[in-house]
Amino acid sequence: MSRVQLEVFFGTLFVLLSGGILLWYGLNEPKRMAEYELHQRAKSIEVGAELYDINCKGCHGPQGEGVAGLWPPLNDRHFFTNRLTEVGWSGTLEDYIISTVSGGRLVSTRPDRYPGQGRPVMPAWAERYGGPLRDDQIRNIAAFILNWADTAPDRSTQMAEMAGPPTGTDIKKALPEGDPTRGEGLANTKGCVVCHISAPTGPAWLATPQQPGIATRAEAILTDPNYTGNATSAVEYLHESIVLPNAYIVPGFQAGVMPANYGDTLTDQELADILAYLLTLK
Amino acid sequence: MLKSLDIQDLKSRLYQAIDNRVRIITAGLNLRELRNVLRGDPPEEKPNPRYKVHTTSFLFHIRPRYYEKASTIFTHTFRLGFFSTFFFFVEAITGIILMIYYSPVPSEAYQSILNLESNVPYGKLLRDIHRLGAEAMVIFVFLHMMRTFLTGSYKKERSFTWFTGVLLLGVTLFLSFFGYLLPWDQLAYWAVTIGTGMAEAAPLFGREANLLLRGGPDIGANGLLRAYLLHVVLLPAVAVLLISIHYYKVSREHGISLPAKYEEGDIPAEEKKNARQRIDFIPDLLTHEVFLTSLGIFALIVSIIIFGYSAPLENVANPQVTPLDTKAPWYFWWLQGLLKLGDKTLMGVILPTIIAGLLIAIPYIDRNPHRSLYKRPVAVGIGILSILVLVVLSYMGTPLYGIETPAATRIVQDLAPEEGVGPLRKIPFDQLQPGTYEVTGTVPRDLCPNLDFGCPALTSVFAEYSRRITRAINDPALPKIQRLPNGQAFLIIEDWQTDLRKVTFRILWDDPDSQQRKTFEKHIFIHRLRGDE
Repeated sequence: MSRVQLEVFFGTLFVLLSGGILLWYGLNEPKRMAEYELHQRAKSIEVGAELYDINCKGCHGPQGEGVAGLWPPLNDRHFFTNRLTEVGWSGTLEDYIISTVSGGRLVSTRPDRYPGQGRPVMPAWAERYGGPLRDDQIRNIAAFILNWADTAPDRSTQMAEMAGPPTGTDIKKALPEGDPTRGEGLANTKGCVVCHISAPTGPAWLATPQQPGIATRAEAILTDPNYTGNATSAVEYLHESIVLPNAYIVPGFQAGVMPANYGDTLTDQELADILAYLLTLK
Repeated sequence: MLKSLDIQDLKSRLYQAIDNRVRIITAGLNLRELRNVLRGDPPEEKPNPRYKVHTTSFLFHIRPRYYEKASTIFTHTFRLGFFSTFFFFVEAITGIILMIYYSPVPSEAYQSILNLESNVPYGKLLRDIHRLGAEAMVIFVFLHMMRTFLTGSYKKERSFTWFTGVLLLGVTLFLSFFGYLLPWDQLAYWAVTIGTGMAEAAPLFGREANLLLRGGPDIGANGLLRAYLLHVVLLPAVAVLLISIHYYKVSREHGISLPAKYEEGDIPAEEKKNARQRIDFIPDLLTHEVFLTSLGIFALIVSIIIFGYSAPLENVANPQVTPLDTKAPWYFWWLQGLLKLGDKTLMGVILPTIIAGLLIAIPYIDRNPHRSLYKRPVAVGIGILSILVLVVLSYMGTPLYGIETPAATRIVQDLAPEEGVGPLRKIPFDQLQPGTYEVTGTVPRDLCPNLDFGCPALTSVFAEYSRRITRAINDPALPKIQRLPNGQAFLIIEDWQTDLRKVTFRILWDDPDSQQRKTFEKHIFIHRLRGDE
């Protein structure tokens, strides 16, 4: 065979082989594309989980359990079955989540259970509404939240079942013995750390190089002539600040920012634990 | 009427008609001649109809009628120039098809790539070919230059061809550089941010150059659009022009150089004459080129479909998060290496400009008339030295060199990198058994004895984690930044959601600078169907 013939032969062979491989590849394409979409969805959930962990868990809970009386649960059967009808939303649940996360919420839709009037109850998260997140990130968060759909428990009964009667707003009330360790945990799960942070040092009640811990600060405030509340001791002052946050506003802060319903959502024991924890922070 | 119909006559007239058509289409070759071309037989008619094609057909008139025999020796050219052009065409064709699915807007770009890969049949293959072709083109263009340098083919009448060649090398690099940004993922965004940042370091007009390139202080919608237009309009147009000039010079002016020994070597006159024998374009060179083309296509398809080359795609670009290990494309590592050595203006702008200038000036600096390797030891020595320098600089350009990351960050990044897969994500989902695993110095043989087949992958990743942590705790020879005095480390795996688990790396140690206990924590979420197992 001459060189030309050899080249024609092998050239044809390569073209036929390439064509064959392409055909075989093409037959697998529908399957590959379907898998690719699944993987994409999975990655979207992973990224969403990470974003949720950074941005949302403070209020809605690490597992979407919410905080009774303050922030609604998302990992909740009610959310997946009734929420759209409740607010009269015509689109899909995904659209609803994306819209709510993007634009935030100015007024609570269930003021009886989750108070919020006069100031945004949920901030806007989308960049175009002044938030920190891009649209694709919000889509990822929605994918993560929607992944609860199959397993979400019914939390409507859980919420009614508090471990005991609410503690009320009487700051002179005798409380049971508190456990500082449990108190520290409650500070995280009851939503305190969502607002009371002074990054990067951690919660604002800790001692920093500039000022002592909250227990010492509370004593200092009692001796302040401008103090307008009714507390007579550090523990009473902290108690008052939690259940009646507007009794006295520390200079430099605004009134009405802290939810005033902790008296309704904490039990005596829980409050005692939190106070015990705070009193250890000299 | 029927009587007058002569089947024989009809047949030959039909044949005549077809033959004529074919002659018109092929500009001179009839059916018989075509057959001879394919069989490698000599032409039948006189004058040689195969030469006529070169004057009548536009495409063939660019091609030479013949090459000199010795210039077609495989080990002389390695067909590097041919393949450089081949990949340019591959890029042009796949690129045009990719343009159908791509939209150069930050909010859409990444999504359009995902859409291409998940909703367009052959879409992923197309992108893989485009990406592999780009890398291959860089390799072949560079090798082509090396070959030209080593055979001394840039000398005398070829100096201008060399000049256009150096420009083409630059165009190739810029084409792939701006194409790099288009997927709009983290890899692209940060590599190009660093790259265009060098424009800012240019003296006198740096700020303006940077603004012109990025369309703003940072890369955003404007920068993406500019990169896109450079990639699909301006640079290809320049490339077509330069390739045309480059090729015209070769085909019409001076031809492909002969191996040096036939020009200046000490060999018999007969052999020298033989070396200059003509090899006709049709059929020999044409079939050879068609053969090489089919070989090239076959190689591309095999390396992607059979050997699994896959164009990388990281997470969507996030201007707020700089990845830990930012890396330029490999063919720019040398530049990154240079940047680590000194001032951005000197190393990033002035030196590369000088290098480009030197490359262009080689034919004018090198006055040695000889082309043989043995008669130009200085030039060859400098050439080899440059390659070595390039390799060393490239190594220095990788994150392996000169970047100090604190121990905890480094260990976790190596096991579970921010981008890409890494050992942790390769563990099959079912082996990620929820639990808290503490590094104790002794590595357990199996972390999950309650599973039938254990969890070898998780155990081996945890073993690696233990080994690195233990070394950082105990080895006093390590530099301070890589140590974890009094260290304690955990690997925590939690069930988080349906098919989703959360993996936490937690490392605690005494920081010698602040005298405080420090904690490093990283959470990684892994979904069962993420597809990297």
